[in-house]
Formats: sequence, C-alpha cells, structure tokens
Amino acid sequence: MIIQRNYSPSALPKGTDVAELTSRIIGPLTLLIERSGIDRDNGQGLRVHLDWIQYKTSFRDPVVVRRAVDQQEQPLPLAEISIDLRQAAAPSFNDYLTNAVDALKGNRPSEGHAPFFLDTFKPWRDSIIWPFNRLFWQQLGDWEAYAKRGFEAALPSGGSDANHPEAVMEGVVEFWDLLHDLEKRGNLPHDIYAMEIGVGSGARARLWLDRFQAYDAEKGSGYYPRLKFLLGDYSPATLDTALAAVGPHAPLCSVIPIDATNPFKVLSFLRFKILFVHLTNVYDNLTFDEIARRDNKLYIVEVRPYVSAASAEQLKAEFGFGTAELPGAIKRLLAYGPESVGDHEKGMAFWTRVWDVLRLEERLRAIDEGDDAHLPNGVSRSPLDDVLSEVPHDIRFHLSRGAAESFVNTAALLHPRGYLQVQDIFVTSIKDYVHGFRGPGKLDGSFVTWVNGAFLHAVGARAGYHVNFAPFTHRKGSKTQILYTKRRD
Amino acid sequence: MSSLPPLPTTVIGSYSMPVWLERAKNDFLQRKVSRHDLDDMYDSARKAAVKDQEVAGIDIISDGELHRDNMIDYFAERIPGVQVDHGSKRLYYDFYDSVVRSKLATGSLGLLDEARFLRRFSQRASKISISGPHALVKRIRNDFYPSEEAFALDLARVMNFEVRELVREGVTHLQIDEPYYSGFPEDLPWAIKAVNALVDGVSAHVTLHICYGNRYGKPSFEGTYRYLFPKVLDAHVQALSLEFARRGEDDLQLFKEFKVPFTLAMGVVDVKTHDVESAGLIADRVRRALNVIPAEKLMINPDCGLVHLPREVAFNKLSAMADGARMVREGLK
Repeated sequence: MIIQRNYSPSALPKGTDVAELTSRIIGPLTLLIERSGIDRDNGQGLRVHLDWIQYKTSFRDPVVVRRAVDQQEQPLPLAEISIDLRQAAAPSFNDYLTNAVDALKGNRPSEGHAPFFLDTFKPWRDSIIWPFNRLFWQQLGDWEAYAKRGFEAALPSGGSDANHPEAVMEGVVEFWDLLHDLEKRGNLPHDIYAMEIGVGSGARARLWLDRFQAYDAEKGSGYYPRLKFLLGDYSPATLDTALAAVGPHAPLCSVIPIDATNPFKVLSFLRFKILFVHLTNVYDNLTFDEIARRDNKLYIVEVRPYVSAASAEQLKAEFGFGTAELPGAIKRLLAYGPESVGDHEKGMAFWTRVWDVLRLEERLRAIDEGDDAHLPNGVSRSPLDDVLSEVPHDIRFHLSRGAAESFVNTAALLHPRGYLQVQDIFVTSIKDYVHGFRGPGKLDGSFVTWVNGAFLHAVGARAGYHVNFAPFTHRKGSKTQILYTKRRD
Repeated sequence: MSSLPPLPTTVIGSYSMPVWLERAKNDFLQRKVSRHDLDDMYDSARKAAVKDQEVAGIDIISDGELHRDNMIDYFAERIPGVQVDHGSKRLYYDFYDSVVRSKLATGSLGLLDEARFLRRFSQRASKISISGPHALVKRIRNDFYPSEEAFALDLARVMNFEVRELVREGVTHLQIDEPYYSGFPEDLPWAIKAVNALVDGVSAHVTLHICYGNRYGKPSFEGTYRYLFPKVLDAHVQALSLEFARRGEDDLQLFKEFKVPFTLAMGVVDVKTHDVESAGLIADRVRRALNVIPAEKLMINPDCGLVHLPREVAFNKLSAMADGARMVREGLK
C-alpha cells in the first residue's frame, strides 16, 4: 500500500489535527485491506490518496475507488482509494471505507445499496457537468431567485474579486501608460480597442470605464472618446444586462456574443488590433481534463455520474421519478429547462436537488502518448511535454483545455504592444499539484476548478508570450492570481 | 534576372518548420539529440523545402532555412568575436544571450554551404538571406563599440567578406533582412549606411527586406512605411521587399510619390494567417501594384518567412502565389 498525501498541512483550517485525523483513518483502513488481501493481489501496490478538497461541496463521496483501464477499457492492475479528509467526520464514514475495500475486492453492493448510474465514463470535457453548467448560466436569474441569493455569494470568498476598485484603478493606470507610450512613439492607433470577456453583471466594465474616463480627463489625454470597448459573453441575456450597467459609456461599447475559448472566430477582423483584454473568473469555468501520471504512464481521468441508492430513493419520493424515469427527466431538464419536468416550482426543486446529490465516479484510462487527441485545439503537445518534464513524480493535474484555447485565440487578437490579463485561481507551478487535490468543486448550480497556470505558461511561451502570475493583493486571504502577458522578444 | 519570367516569384527565406524538427531542436538543446542526428534531419527537411518550392512553382527558391534557429542566433554563433551563452535558452526559437566584448574578427559565416547545398539539389535560381546589421545590433549586447552605429558598421565589414565569397561562389540573389526598422525609425540613417557597407563591392541582385516583424507569427510593430522615405532611397540595393498582404496596399503610393528606383518585391501572401489566399486574390493584388509600378520592376513574394505556418498551408500559399503571378503574366503578353 502506497499512501500519498495530497494536501499541505498549512493549507488546512486552523485547529485541524491532521495527524489525529489521518491516524484515525489509516488504522481501520489498513485492517480492512489486510483482511481483504487486495493489496497482496495487486502487483503494483494499492495507492491510497489522502486529499483535502477545499470546496464545501464537491462531486465526491468521502471515500472513492478509482480503477484503471487500458485504451480499450480493459482492466489494469492499478487501483486507488481516495479519501477526502474534509468529509472524514461524516456519520457513515467507516461504511464508505468498508464499501471501498469491498468494491476493490470485487464484491457487489448489497441489494438496494447500489448507486444508480446516469451515464457512461467520459473525460471531464464531455461529462454531464457541462450541460448542468450551461443550464445554470442560461437560467441564472431563475436559480438565484429560487436560491434567494446571487451566484457570487456561493464563491468561497462570498464575492468576486473582479470589482475591487483599487485593482481596477491599477489596471486603468497601466493601460493609460501603454497608450501614452504608444502616442509618444507615434504608434497609437486612432481606434483604441479594449475588451472584457465574461462580463457578468457588467459591474466591472462600468467601474473600469468610469475610472478610465476620469483618469483620461485628469490627464487631458483625449483617449476616452477614441475608446472602443467590447463587452464579450456567450449569453445574450448577460450582454443585455452588462450593456445596461455601463450606462453613459454605452455609446463606446459593443456587445459581442462570444465563445470565450475562441474570440478570434468572431473578431478576426480585429486581428492584432486589441490593446487590452481582461477576463475574470472565466478560465475556471471552461472545459478541462485531468491527466494523471502513474509509474511514468499517462492516464486521462474519466468520470461517470451517479446518485447513491439513498438519493435515488429520495428523488423518487420527492418528485415521483423512479430509476426508470430519472435519466429521461434529467435529460429533459438539461435540454429544455426546469419547466420540462413539472411546474416551475417543482422543476426548480428537482434541478437543485439533482445537482446537490450528483456524484461522479472516477477512473483512469490509459492514453497513447503519441496520440494528440487529448490536447486542446490549436495547441501542440510540446507545452504538455514541457510541463511533464518538470515533475518526475506521480501527479494528477488539470489539462486546462478551454483556458489554453482561449489564451491562444485571444492572443491572436492582440496588438503588438497589447496584453492580456486574467484574474482567476491558477496553479502557478506544476509542482503544486503534488501538494494538493485541485479537482472541481460545486458552486450553486455550477462548478469551479483550478486552472493550470504552469501549462498556460508553456502554451504562452510557444505562442510568443511570457506568462507571469502575481497574487491579487487587494483582499486579504484571496486565492486569486492575476495572469499577465508580455510579448516574448 | 534575364532567365526569369516577368513578375518572378520568390520566398523571403524560411519555410514551414515541422513540429518534429522543432522538438528535435529543443531536444538538442537539452542534449537528448546529437549534433550529427540533428544535421541529418536538417538535410532531409531542407531537401523537402526545396522540393516543395519547386513543385509550387517558385522561380527563386531558398533552402527553407530550417537549420537556423532564428534570424539572430544563426549569425551570432558564426560571427567571430560574438560570445554566445549556449546555456541561455531552452526553446530553440528563443534568442541566446550573446555579447560582443572586443573588436570583431573576420572569418567564415558558413553561408557558402547553403549556396552549395542549393546548387547541388536544385537547378532553380536561388537566393541566400542574411540578417541585416541593424537587426543583429538590436539583439546582440554591445560591450565594446562606442555606439550602435559603430557596431553595425563593423558587423557589416565582417559580413561583407562572406557576401563577396557568396558571389564568387555563383550566388546571384541576396537578401538582407531588417525587421526592426519599423520599431526604430530613428536609426534609419546609420542602418542604411550599414547596409551599404555590407553590400559594398557586391555584384548581385540585392533585396532589402523590411517587414513589421514575424516573431511567433505576430507583428512586432504597426504603422506605415512612410518613415522609410526618402532615406531608404540611399540604399545600394536593387529591390525593396515590403509586406502588403496583411496591411493593405495603401503604401504602394509611396513608390509613386518618391519615384522609387528599386524593384518592389511585393508581399502578396499574408503569413500570419492560415487562411490560404486564392490565386485570383493574389492576381488582384499584383494587378493593383501594376497601376503604380511597371512589371519589370515587380517581384512577387510572401509578406515574410513561412516558418510559423503548417507545411500544407505554406505549400498551398506558395502554389496560389505562383498561380496568381502566372495569371497576371498571361495578361501582360
């Protein structure tokens, strides 16, 4: 048995006696494993991962089993048990331990205890969380009204760092300095293009425009009237809200329905023209995969959605959908919205309840390292090779495909002196993945996951940019980092 | 250019860099690939580049420059007296840290091998591209010369020997690449002086290529070519190679306004997009240039090197360019 600690003690909540917690788990687990003989049968050694999932809610039960398969989905000897220490106080925690060992032994759950699977195994990028995510952003207003709180209240910090006035002002000054420098060199274009992708409520754009207008007036530079500010988002409803929010600046603004992973597709006519692009909390909600390296072999993490037997029973009792009807009801919900499963109230209750009880089983599927199918579009395998060359250990990390595609397809729009700033939760060194489980966590109806900054660094280098990160210093305890780009010479 | 057709087509120099060769170059830097094996790969890649250009119908070809890491390091490593820190880069396309701390000596730059390679493997007219003194001065740290101008002039002196050797070897077409003029227009007086020192006594068709940069397939600067005039008219060259496909053709009027005596090697292929131009579009661009410049003073080429384009895209662009030029030639008869 190989025990891997995927947390940094210093990152745990104050007062957590991690030694006591761990010993309380490892003792019974060792006993169960010894009795079962599974470790003896496993030539590669059973791996036990001790995680601390930093999100209050996630897609994982307290103890999960992760098996490995080859490319043809045939079982491989590699198997893992992952334990979320954060959930170790759950009342039936020991049952989870026992069930995990039983599962690895090949014992089926007893009658009435088997989880109910909603789909087959798929990589994260194709998993069920995406239609849920899409529905959430499409019907955000309905969710917020039902939950009686705005979505930002569900963020770990209880709010977004996007709208911090000092941070916005800092950005305004930096942008003005660039314009001023270009003007001194006689290179300032007549039309000054700037863009915000993922405008949300429009509050940040409004604040930025207010501050820029004031600063420009103070300096007497006359840049503000030449500004062409693009509000980009994939939701037309959000764009309407944002346009209303920018108020008096609206004549300078254009709303652009945009896929954040490929702004170039819509805006190719602005190639090499945009001087500044900003995104906040967008990358963490774009498609991703997870790659695991075990014994120098690469696997992609695949997930299979399920609800526990108890949850399935509850759903049947509350909404009348038994296991025969449940997959169809969820499919309708995701395709047509909550009203497709009943009246609005029932539909909303069903939506929130299903999201609450949704769990994802994980497995590791071997990938052919010579095959580029798992790579983001437009990104060669070289950045991934760069990242992997830095970590000799077994590791599990994000392949932030959506973020990488977004980066490459946004950089293509930048003016030679233009830059990109992204405020998000980045894992800035690949080695940090060794010290923490960074998988996705649930938010209200949506999810959040860390973004592989080290991978973006490598992607940026190949696209001609230095990618650097700096902590967001305007709120104490913020986990947000700011990605800055600078053209490589 | 007597054996060439009207509106001869050419390339700027670099051809599509295969991903496998990029990886091998990076592996070489990390000592995972030997010099011998890398040279072997270069040989195959350059032959393929030559063949692609021939099949595409290019009149004046290059060897694809696939053995060059970038336009600076290839020369920095060869110019006697430039000290290169070979541990200073991990990615081949990056620049080495290089410095000059004493007066440059003269010596071979290895360009003769390029010329011999081209003559051995192709019957086509060919050209050799040389990074200009201004570009080299902007990237090689100067710890010796009193000014950038002095450094550039001495670089030109050293490189002039090699250029003369190239001509003795039978090279008829040379190109000097200067992608940084557009970012430093104030340097133009001494930069042109350095070009003239570089081509002093050289009896070949010399093209001065001035673009807006193509690092990582992106422009380094923006603006118009107006800053070049009239100073650039002092250059002792036969042709100016300028980019028009990506930027539009407004600056063609500068040739009329300043009665430019040079041939225009006109960029008609946008090398910063994977979209392949049609032959018709190329022909239209050439015809618009013919409204300003006589056919005997016009050559056709891409805006810049093709190094950042996938091979299929690069090949199709060159084919379209050759077809477009052919279409216009038909109309000239």
